[in-house]
Amino acid sequence: MTQHVVECQGVSRTYQDDAVPVHALRDVDFAVDSGEFVSLAGPSGSGKSTLLHVIGGLDRPNAGAITVDGEDINALGDSELADLRLNKIGFVFQAYNLIPVLSAQENVEFIMQLQGIDAAERGDRALGTLDSLGMRDLADRRPGEMSGGQQQRVAIARAIVTNPVLLLADEPSANLDTGTTGELLELLKRLNKERGVTILTATHDPMVMGYASRQVHLRDGEIVSE
Amino acid sequence: MPLKLLLQLSWRNLWRHRRRNGIMVLAIALAVTGVMLMNTLMRGMAAEMREAAIDNLTGHIKVIHPGYMADPGIGRGFEPEQGWEQALADVPVAGWAQRVRVPAVIMSERETRGVQLVGVDPAQETISFLGSLSVDGEALSGAEDRRIIVGATLAEQLETSVGRRLVIMTQGADGLNREAGYRIAGTYDADSNALEKVFVFTGAQTVARLLESPAVTEVSLRLESDDDIPLALAELGAVFEDLDVKAWQDLEPQVASMVLVADFGLYIMYFVIMGALVFGLVNALVTAVMERVRELGMLRALGMRPRSVVAQVVVESTLVMTAGVVAGLALAVVCYLPFSGGIDLSAFSETMQMMGVRNIFTPRLEVADMVIVFVLSLVLGVLASLYPARRAVKVTPLDAMRR
Ligand SMILES: Nc1ncnc2c1ncn2[C@@H]1O[C@H](COP(=O)(O)OP(=O)(O)OP(=O)(O)O)[C@@H](O)[C@H]1O
Ligand SMILES: [Mg+2]
Repeated sequence: MTQHVVECQGVSRTYQDDAVPVHALRDVDFAVDSGEFVSLAGPSGSGKSTLLHVIGGLDRPNAGAITVDGEDINALGDSELADLRLNKIGFVFQAYNLIPVLSAQENVEFIMQLQGIDAAERGDRALGTLDSLGMRDLADRRPGEMSGGQQQRVAIARAIVTNPVLLLADEPSANLDTGTTGELLELLKRLNKERGVTILTATHDPMVMGYASRQVHLRDGEIVSE
Repeated sequence: MPLKLLLQLSWRNLWRHRRRNGIMVLAIALAVTGVMLMNTLMRGMAAEMREAAIDNLTGHIKVIHPGYMADPGIGRGFEPEQGWEQALADVPVAGWAQRVRVPAVIMSERETRGVQLVGVDPAQETISFLGSLSVDGEALSGAEDRRIIVGATLAEQLETSVGRRLVIMTQGADGLNREAGYRIAGTYDADSNALEKVFVFTGAQTVARLLESPAVTEVSLRLESDDDIPLALAELGAVFEDLDVKAWQDLEPQVASMVLVADFGLYIMYFVIMGALVFGLVNALVTAVMERVRELGMLRALGMRPRSVVAQVVVESTLVMTAGVVAGLALAVVCYLPFSGGIDLSAFSETMQMMGVRNIFTPRLEVADMVIVFVLSLVLGVLASLYPARRAVKVTPLDAMRR
């Protein structure tokens, strides 16, 4: 029996918008195995981001059970969810979401710092990861001094440097040009192949879908095809 | 969350808005300086009044007849046993004096005034203002001296001067009036005109002869420090069983309450001024937090615990407060130092003398007060930041990041 990294059973998420319920997710059954590179596809509003959010513990489902690396998310409090994100999940958001007052290297070290890893090891790992993304020379720059593609690479470095069980990426290529997107995807693929990082990404971008090992299509909050 | 990371993030965030935070630090610093300087004046004033009260024949402790306050006179005198002071062997005493003080009427050829006639032994009076008095003419030579010294203001009122004679009339122990003439040895110039008008001094033996009684009406005691008062009270109480043994706070209640007011004054001034400022601080913090809701949400999305986010805002606020307070205290010290030796008020001496303040006014900057202000400010800084910090974590990380 293989252990699923992510397992969703009967997950629903309903938003109450002006008294009209919006069903962002309806009774979704979904699983991701270790080492997979899964891409969520579907039209705008189909629930891709919502699914990533409930899996990442940023949002809570109205119904259904979710386990991440064997942990039942519904059973966790806010602080425990924070710990889960800290220790098991790497996030890459559409808007890179770097900490503006920290340099690239410090941003990459941030999560390790929260984890309590000592300075020497942090520095080595951060520089090593930045190096593997071709960003070593920019280690001392702050986010404001980098291009979008560079910032996204720092965000990815930050997400993977701690070897998370799961990497969640929501529209990672939305703000990037085609060339940069290609590089980014190669990078994700390499991470998936070489480091065995499990990746779950949501995207409109056909280029991203092409790189994934499996595609899942959503429509109106339901999985329509795999 | 490691403290170092917390401080690093807070520190850099403060620098990100250095203009706004700089203004805040400046405002806090000026407020603290203002509070401290006003406090040094109040402390100085209170200390002065206290010194003056103790100097003005009160001492730290006085022994009197229980009825003396209501009905002062030689009828309320007593005769201390020889060697009573042995009882105080283990109390650090600066000195003591026995006096006979009675109400009297003093007359010159032209004027008559009511005064207090005080018979003293000048050798004992190092403990009172008498010891350091500037006398025009001659001071009293001893308890046997049969001349008198009067205040300069009184001499003026009586239209008399050194070397002339005055007649003093008072009541003896038997209730009958006594009267005698005395030559003025000198006139004295005290810090307060009120003193000069009231006290007329002569030798203790001279008063005893006039009243035909060897009794004294008070024993005044000066200690090395206020802290020794309770011990001294206890020991004197045992010696002078039938008499009242009172500390200066009981004898000069207005002055004692003034000293108390100075103690509370610090808190009152502090809370009035800093209270207003804290509103500004809270406001600045709320703005700073709202600007960063997105970023703080992102920190939480990455796995920072809510309470670490709160801690970060609290640390930022506390750093601003600390910087402001330290700068304010430093500025207060800088402003205070040139005046620490005293401010010469002789230009305003008329009004000041009426208030019982000396020509040289010494403000007092006390380390204990600085510590109080520092600690209070840290507490305020933390309290001020709690509301903004709570707002930062009230929205979910997801909502925060959507903004
Ligand atoms: N906070 C919210 N409040 C109300 N409705 C919401 C909220 N978040 C999402 N929704 C609704 O839920 C549905 C699913 O949204 P979601 O963001 O998951 O879609 P998506 O597939 O990621 O779309 P896109 O491709 O545009 O990013 C949409 O109809 C959206 O309007
Ligand atoms: Mg989306």
